Amino acid sequence: MTYILAIDTTAGTSVALLAADRVLAHVHHDSGVKHAELIGEAIAQVFAETGVRANILDAVAVGRGPALFTGLRVGIAAGIMFAEAVGSKLVGAVSHDAIALSLYETDGSLGPAPLLVTTDARRGEVYWALFGGLDAAGLPITLAGPSVGKHAEIVVALNAEHGEVTERTGGATAVWVARLAQRQLAAGIATDEVSALYLRAPDAVPPKPNQQFGKRVSG
Amino acid sequence: MASYTIRAAEANDLAGIMELEHACFPTDAWSEKSMREELAAEHTTYLVLAEVTPGEAGYGVVGYAGLSKLSGSEQGDIQTIAVSPDARGKGYGRRLMEELLSVAAGQGATEIFLEVRADNPVAQGLYESLGFKVIDRRRNYYQPDGVDALVMRVALEAAPKLPIVLGIESSCDETGVGIVRGGELLANVISSSMDLHARFGGVVPEVAARAHLEALQPTLRKALAEANVSLEEIDAIAVANGPGLAGALMVGVGAAKALAVGLGKPIYAVNHLVGHVGADVLERGQVEVPTIALLVSGGHTSLLLVNDLLDDVQLLGETIDDAAGEAFDKVARLLGLKYPGGPEIDRAAAEGNPVAIRFPRGLMLPKDMEKHRYDFSFSGLKTAVARWVEVAHDSGAEFSVADVAASFREAVVDILVTKAVNACLAHNVPRLLLGGGVVANRRLREVAAERCAKHGIELRIPEFSLCTDNGAMIAALGAQLVMAGREPSALGFGADSTLPVTTVQTP
Repeated sequence: MTYILAIDTTAGTSVALLAADRVLAHVHHDSGVKHAELIGEAIAQVFAETGVRANILDAVAVGRGPALFTGLRVGIAAGIMFAEAVGSKLVGAVSHDAIALSLYETDGSLGPAPLLVTTDARRGEVYWALFGGLDAAGLPITLAGPSVGKHAEIVVALNAEHGEVTERTGGATAVWVARLAQRQLAAGIATDEVSALYLRAPDAVPPKPNQQFGKRVSG
Repeated sequence: MASYTIRAAEANDLAGIMELEHACFPTDAWSEKSMREELAAEHTTYLVLAEVTPGEAGYGVVGYAGLSKLSGSEQGDIQTIAVSPDARGKGYGRRLMEELLSVAAGQGATEIFLEVRADNPVAQGLYESLGFKVIDRRRNYYQPDGVDALVMRVALEAAPKLPIVLGIESSCDETGVGIVRGGELLANVISSSMDLHARFGGVVPEVAARAHLEALQPTLRKALAEANVSLEEIDAIAVANGPGLAGALMVGVGAAKALAVGLGKPIYAVNHLVGHVGADVLERGQVEVPTIALLVSGGHTSLLLVNDLLDDVQLLGETIDDAAGEAFDKVARLLGLKYPGGPEIDRAAAEGNPVAIRFPRGLMLPKDMEKHRYDFSFSGLKTAVARWVEVAHDSGAEFSVADVAASFREAVVDILVTKAVNACLAHNVPRLLLGGGVVANRRLREVAAERCAKHGIELRIPEFSLCTDNGAMIAALGAQLVMAGREPSALGFGADSTLPVTTVQTP
């Protein structure tokens, strides 16, 4: 039996402990703030609730986003360090893949059309990825993305290229990050790449030469 | 010339030990069988004093001593001690005894007993000097000589096990992981993202936070390797949870919490600025108080009065605009120098005249003393330098960058040191501790040393790797909290970018 701890802070603060496909404990705070405050107790809680000892974990899975940076980093930092502490394998999961997996497994209304998964990226933009069902290993097939852009423009462009797409918007949970990681491990394609998927450069502009203060300080 | 070393006895020392046993105790030597069993026993510790002859592989046993202490017992016995006649009178007997007593304390012994021949005053003197006292006399104990034994006892201070604490620092652009044992530095690994900020001319918070996330794991592993400890040996985790850049702090906080929960160890959320003060523990074993602390970096310029490292830290003043390091960066840029500005200005100023230009000193006028006696302002100084350079440029005259750099640096240093020394004098505190990256500035150290000497103030400047942001200082402060018996922080603490210095530990 594979024991897996999953951490995802791409939307709320979400931590889950699974044995194979079975959810043993799941702590989920919806709010998209206070990740740093909540993460420690959330991890402690899934072990306390179940009595499972952390050193039997086979893997720690973390959601890599794309997502808003500040919260995203808290979950990845915690995942990296928890794996170090208990000496387990680390698995990185694209959060939109986890959302797609949850939809394919639970949303009966999905037809054969490509599935567009969107999440809020602020600034009038969305993080998105397009999927074309599950493969033989039960893993979502990525057709495009993950990427970030204006919602309306993306929908037009994807409809033109892939035919009418079905859109679902939502947030990742640690439960589905864990299930995605489980299937990746089973298929032998899990990766320990856990770098954050920011998809945007930092908002910083190097100062222009000869204009050090923006304006002259004297006439 | 032979030299001597003390080491744990090994099985193949038996022959050498027996030779000495017979030489030292001709009438009542132990048998070889007894000695072999003693050396091999679980509950004994035998040390040998060995002669090391340069160029020769072999060791000659010239002394030995043994301790017996059952595990779980708080009492131990010195079984025997012998030093060969030609190695006597050099303090080796005392060293063997001291080593054994420290081994015993480390094993949890609180009292140690021994017997000594009543006709051996030299040995009795040695034991008395180590704190042993006669508690009993056993008649005719040593046979066949019929000599009495004196039973002696010493009480040991139960040596407290010093906590191994791992500290994580991520408040600005340095990812620091440090490991300490009590007040002893075991590792201090710093990964800086400074180069990534160079083209922006200052620390970009998002760039710093991204770099922290990438540096965490390698920095942790490097620190553990440097300290030669495993994660299982760590007794507590400490993390700086403010003040600093919020997004950067959160990376450290998330990481530290997961580490603590994963290891099942307590966590201490500590103040970054007080951590700078705590760094002195690693060089001196403690922070002597009261002390004034001047902390100067790219992010902070703060003057602290520390009456007690854990319980009484007051903020006397801080910058009301730019930090001193930031002012160095900005002035360096307008002089066409590189980032970070501090070392560049230092270099340029070396050839310059510090009194060539009289730049203004902010918040130093009598009218400022009521509200801002210990506050700093560098924004006006920076603008004054910019204006001076513009005017010089417009006039088409050649000017000396070295003179501008030296005069600017002199102004910054003058403000910093004047206020710090004034704080010492006003609060009757005979100590000044410097911390923060700007301490690397040579002129700051020089002027601080001169003026402190003049006023009889003791100046403390820890080694630079402990002055700049680092994890060791966080670990050191955490270890002080652990050793003082403080409760760990509750797991729900957050990162606080404006955490006041009065909050040494977030509960």
